[in-house]
Amino acid sequence: MNKLRLGFFKYSCCMGCSYFFAYVQKHVPEVLASFDFVFIKLLSRKGIPEGPFDIALVEGTITEAWQVDELKMIREHSKKLFAIGSCAVIGGIPAIKATSPELEVEKRVYKNLSSIHSIKPHAVDAYVKVDGYIRGCPPVERDLYEALTSVLTGRKPDFPQYSVCIECKLKGNICVLIADDMPCMGPVTNAGCGALCPSMNRACYSCFGPMKQANAPGLAKKFKAMGISRDDIIRKFTEFGADTIEFRKAVEMVYED
Amino acid sequence: MKIDINYIARVEGESSVKLEIEEGKLKELRLNIWEPPRFFEGFLVGRKFDEVPDIVARICGICPVSHMTTAIRAMENAFGLTPSPEVKRIRKILALSQILSSHLAHLYILALPDFFRLNSVVEMLPHFEKDIKRFLRLKEAANSITALFGGRALHPVSMVVGGFTKVPSKADTEKAAWELESLHGDALETLKMASELKCPALENHAEFVALKGKGEYAINGGMISSTKGLNIKEHEYASYFIEDEVPYSNAKRTILKDRGSLMAGALSRINLGFDNLLPDAKKASEDLGFTGGGNPFLNNLAQAVEIVHALQECAILLRGLSLKSVKNYFADFKVREGAGSALTEAPRGMLYHYYEIDGRGVITKANIVTPTAHNFLNLEESLKKLVTENIDKPEEELILMCEMLVRAYDPCFSCSVH
Repeated sequence: MNKLRLGFFKYSCCMGCSYFFAYVQKHVPEVLASFDFVFIKLLSRKGIPEGPFDIALVEGTITEAWQVDELKMIREHSKKLFAIGSCAVIGGIPAIKATSPELEVEKRVYKNLSSIHSIKPHAVDAYVKVDGYIRGCPPVERDLYEALTSVLTGRKPDFPQYSVCIECKLKGNICVLIADDMPCMGPVTNAGCGALCPSMNRACYSCFGPMKQANAPGLAKKFKAMGISRDDIIRKFTEFGADTIEFRKAVEMVYED
Repeated sequence: MKIDINYIARVEGESSVKLEIEEGKLKELRLNIWEPPRFFEGFLVGRKFDEVPDIVARICGICPVSHMTTAIRAMENAFGLTPSPEVKRIRKILALSQILSSHLAHLYILALPDFFRLNSVVEMLPHFEKDIKRFLRLKEAANSITALFGGRALHPVSMVVGGFTKVPSKADTEKAAWELESLHGDALETLKMASELKCPALENHAEFVALKGKGEYAINGGMISSTKGLNIKEHEYASYFIEDEVPYSNAKRTILKDRGSLMAGALSRINLGFDNLLPDAKKASEDLGFTGGGNPFLNNLAQAVEIVHALQECAILLRGLSLKSVKNYFADFKVREGAGSALTEAPRGMLYHYYEIDGRGVITKANIVTPTAHNFLNLEESLKKLVTENIDKPEEELILMCEMLVRAYDPCFSCSVH
């Protein structure tokens, strides 16, 4: 069998997804046997960024114009393109920048802005069509293998489409939102982590980002009723989800209230 | 002749090296760190103190524990909170587990292929199966320690200002200690492998800087010490170190005031703290005739010595934990207006965080200086020296040597720009 050509691209992020991918736990031999690593900076010199690729994985938030150009080039040369990690999937932590006027944030970091060329941070699908989302910060192995094996076998990938609450219930956790009054983001956050934070006695902070059709304003109302301040509620919905429609609705509701 | 290494592969983050040789002499050389800025110090302003550890973890995919611990310690310093000895011990276990996994990844998958003139670990696999398997065993053990305490190996969730939200059971930590102890031979093999790598000769007269502890190999705190006599407290950092912008780089460059470039990282820690290594690591290193040195390429070997040390210290600390109730691992504290700073030894060297916080616990100012920002000038100077001393080498060879040197510093350009 011909190996499938794989490209891995990094934009503005911690490179944790590349690192996570490079260290594929117990599946190293299987992955190496199935893919030809055409381009992955963290692993190999002399990669070919032009492809073509059977599968391209893209990590990181888009924050500079050259990234948009390159991303479009990759899309054209790839059969399947997956966004991997919260930065690429929803804008992630770098998108917090968009909650304040751009120059204000930049000026706090650099005195001379003439060589800084940042644009408003966005997820990958703001610019190109994406074939699948490997969510999480960091993602989990299950979703990564789902993406890889779906391409290998030519089927549609199947990712969790429900909230962290479901995973929490399956684990038999006591609800930290109801029982402990912790401002837990679990009800509106996409599953995948295995309800990690509630299992560690703390509130979910939504590092997997919003679940589709989440009722974020509803949860914001609940937080308000718990006596949480307006600013604290806004911060909850803008830590990982500042660039998402779902969470923006909650922020807007809190502002209007 | 102009040489443009337009991206340095097998390092964390984005950089390039541009150099110009004219009539057999190096005319110009620049390390261009073009990693795009994410403005952490900018958008941390306005965030609440308890979100900060989770946010700064995302500065780096390899050393999140270091960023979290440094931020947590800085805020505890601001609030006047002293963590219990057991909390300190767990923080050190997490730091050591992360040093292990970072060094292992650097040695085996980032640095090693060059020494066999191969482009990647994928090309190495058919010939070095034994080594790769050893790497995977060690790496998995290190990652499972981070996950045991943190919930997951990358971006752990149990670490908060005040302590930990959950701790594992005594049975689990005993098992983890036993697993680490059983890998001692693998760590020694790694050291042997690193000692056999032939490195180019290169002198480096930089000031080596690292945290130094009394009777312990310092990681989370200590005196800021150097091979040229610096010996200051954590909170004095800002009066001795200057951070400056560089027109061709998104990373800032940090130097020692009136002294110049410095080098941080494993080699610095060995140069300053060799006597504080555990006896086994010390002896294994002495047997190889290595007790430190100036050549930056020795950083690879220094990391291997630290692997032997960290594996053992981690096991000792695990065995020493009492792990009573989770309540003992979280201290109550009062949020108050103030400022706090802290330093830790991240895998790649000294890491500094500074925060100003208002009465409601909201950040009003943040500053972060990473190991690679500390090393930036010294790395550039070493590159110039390396090229000057090897100017007659063929272009391909010269490019590889430059890349090998950059990798030997184990830079994290993502961290350095943040």
